[in-house]
Amino acid sequence: MSLDISFIGILIGSIMASSVPLILAASGELITERSGVLNLGVEGMMIIGAISGFALMVITDNLFIAIIGSMLSGVVISLIFGFLTQSLLTNHVATGLALTIFGIGLSAMLGKDFVGIPGKDFPILFSSLRESIPFFGPILFGHSIILYFAFVLPFLTSYFLKKTKLGLIVRAVGDSPVSASNQGINVILVRYCCILYGGGMCGLAGAYLSLIYTPQWIENMTAGRGWIALALVVFATWSPIKVLIGAIIFGGISILQLHMQAVGFRIPVQFLIALPYLMTIIVLVVISRDSRKIKLNTPTSLGRIFYKEK
Amino acid sequence: MATDLRISNISKIYPGCVANDNVSLQFKSGKIYALLGENGAGKSTLVKILSGVINPDNGEVFLNEKNLKLSSPLDAKKNKIGMVFQHFNLFETLSVFENLSIDATEDNKSLRVRINKILKKYNFNIDLDVPVLNLSAGQKQKVEIIRCLLRSPKVLIMDEPTSVLTEQETEELFISLKKFCDEGILIIYITHKLKEVLSLCDEVAVMRKGKVVSVSQTQNEKVETLANKMVGQKLAKIKKKINISKNKDEIFKVKHLNFYSDDPFETNLVNLNFSVKKGECLGIAGISGNGQNELFQILSGEIITPNTSIIFRNKEIAKLNPKQRREYLMAFSPEDRISQAAVPELKIYENVALNNFKSSNFFEKGLVNERKIKEHSKKILSDFSVNTDNVELKSQFLSGGNLQKLILGRELITAPELLICYNPTWGLDVGAINYIHETLIKINDQEKSTILISTDTEELLKLSDRIAVIYKGKLSNIMPSDEVTPEKLGILMGGGSID
Repeated sequence: MSLDISFIGILIGSIMASSVPLILAASGELITERSGVLNLGVEGMMIIGAISGFALMVITDNLFIAIIGSMLSGVVISLIFGFLTQSLLTNHVATGLALTIFGIGLSAMLGKDFVGIPGKDFPILFSSLRESIPFFGPILFGHSIILYFAFVLPFLTSYFLKKTKLGLIVRAVGDSPVSASNQGINVILVRYCCILYGGGMCGLAGAYLSLIYTPQWIENMTAGRGWIALALVVFATWSPIKVLIGAIIFGGISILQLHMQAVGFRIPVQFLIALPYLMTIIVLVVISRDSRKIKLNTPTSLGRIFYKEK
Repeated sequence: MATDLRISNISKIYPGCVANDNVSLQFKSGKIYALLGENGAGKSTLVKILSGVINPDNGEVFLNEKNLKLSSPLDAKKNKIGMVFQHFNLFETLSVFENLSIDATEDNKSLRVRINKILKKYNFNIDLDVPVLNLSAGQKQKVEIIRCLLRSPKVLIMDEPTSVLTEQETEELFISLKKFCDEGILIIYITHKLKEVLSLCDEVAVMRKGKVVSVSQTQNEKVETLANKMVGQKLAKIKKKINISKNKDEIFKVKHLNFYSDDPFETNLVNLNFSVKKGECLGIAGISGNGQNELFQILSGEIITPNTSIIFRNKEIAKLNPKQRREYLMAFSPEDRISQAAVPELKIYENVALNNFKSSNFFEKGLVNERKIKEHSKKILSDFSVNTDNVELKSQFLSGGNLQKLILGRELITAPELLICYNPTWGLDVGAINYIHETLIKINDQEKSTILISTDTEELLKLSDRIAVIYKGKLSNIMPSDEVTPEKLGILMGGGSID
């Protein structure tokens, strides 16, 4: 294997691409969880986004409609979750699990006719710069607009939570819904908005998979990425920037271990496959070990049902 | 401008309970009003209605003759009614400033200026940029008060504000409240503590079972008259006949009790020696935090200290754990009812089963003998007049007084020879306090012994035969309680010495 500099650049570029769905889904779920709602339906919402995006692309032949449609489908399916947990006060965990199972089943049914249809090329930006600049070219340029958005999103999320009034309200609701309600904040409305936003981001994450990363529809193509995104949020202790770091490490080691398998290192394959999970958890636990900060970032009311006194 | 708040015919009915029954009251600014009542008398429901948290079934609220529609907390805020709840409505993980800015309409810069003005004016000392969870209870309350003041309220309602405060903090609070009152804010002060009513308030309304039973000037009232109104019957004056006989057997003897801890929040205990006779109550007085926690834990066996000798009924028990000590007929009632003495999420009979003895047969071959436990629990509920006979009720729905009765009942139904209790009447209303005091005296009458660790000097003087004071982990001489006066105790509790 020739480890020349341009190869490393391409490698980094592909690592970035593989971490995009994780960043998108985890950033969305982070906002949902910060408002005190635990939505375990990330995997289900992602796969619904993936099939809706792909189906719309095939039917309309318009990538813009496909992307918007995938986000809307995520919003709609998370609305079911929101209605059940916020209006009918069902248990968050059970409802989220049901949502995932439902999403996987529904997507398989909807997707039957789309198996085997080739995808379409998604426009990439600055493709000429990608070729002309060694090393930095493949890292910085020649990506889809979604990737650039994904890498900016954690910073926007962090800014939103820390600096804006709305972010403050989301954190307050997650900390103590009863106090927030007594302060005149409409807790249910805030939580609905956060759930729908999370659904939209998960839908987009799914569409990235079926339209850009591996442009085709395969049944169950999210392959557990939704669960990884959920775990990232927790291990990153609800900090958007740490979610970004975790997603890159996970994506990075997933790609690297493929190369290691290809080169034929004398390490059991099973260990290599487990490596991304292990490393991500270790790194995130190490960078998040300040227990005071964990306490401040953890949404105290996470997963608890809130109902208003009357 | 003068403020006039009028409540007219408010009713609120919950299934199985009339929380407010046709309540009418009138308040005018420039005075501090007390709303007095036992736990469950309907005070909290009434103030929740005033602050818009819950809606009444009937009745109206008038502020300066304007009929207010208080259907949400926002309405109360708009109408300049401020409220400090008993359980703080703060966001623990947000900073003080974030807590205050969440419902502000102005920009952060001018808000900070206004907050700093308030801090300066009332001499509050709070760092605005630390998270609320780092603050003491008194500071948290100040944050709540500042939040109300920022909206320049006409009415300020305080719901049992001193239940979490130290004496020092209580004094500071009273000074601030008097200042607010002088500035024309109408203050409604909800409490079940009679002395606070007399020292702070101008007028007092007493509530009982959802109804207002009396409105009067506090200067015409005394502790006894208010207590009788609150409970609805003449409270028997409890005073124990002191019972010191030299020739009774010592049932419990502690020698060389030493405890050293590296934890800065714990107090070291230095060479405590004392004994308890049969049928005697030994009182241990002291300001909280002088080693009572540690002493209770050592006596109950939660902490085992080396080189200490504890003789109980002629046996050495210093190395035994709480369960083993119970088998020797000791019983314990810790200070913290909710997290130490009982598990609030469990049902009553399950909490009873937690205190199991070999002899009680609650468990057979690893299985729970539910029928037996429930029978036993029913007996406790009726013997100790807990106001429910439903053993399936979750313990968290019992009021403090009833929970304490349940705990004492659980401990006493095995007829222990020695009961060690720590602040048994903390946070309870007069009726429940009276009941508990009567029970403790009854124990001594039956020739059983008690050790009463308490921060309430009045309670100690009422119940103890002999009293010692703990100060910074050291125990004073043990004195017969007829030679002790509140002043003497006060001096010893503050670290002074007498004679």
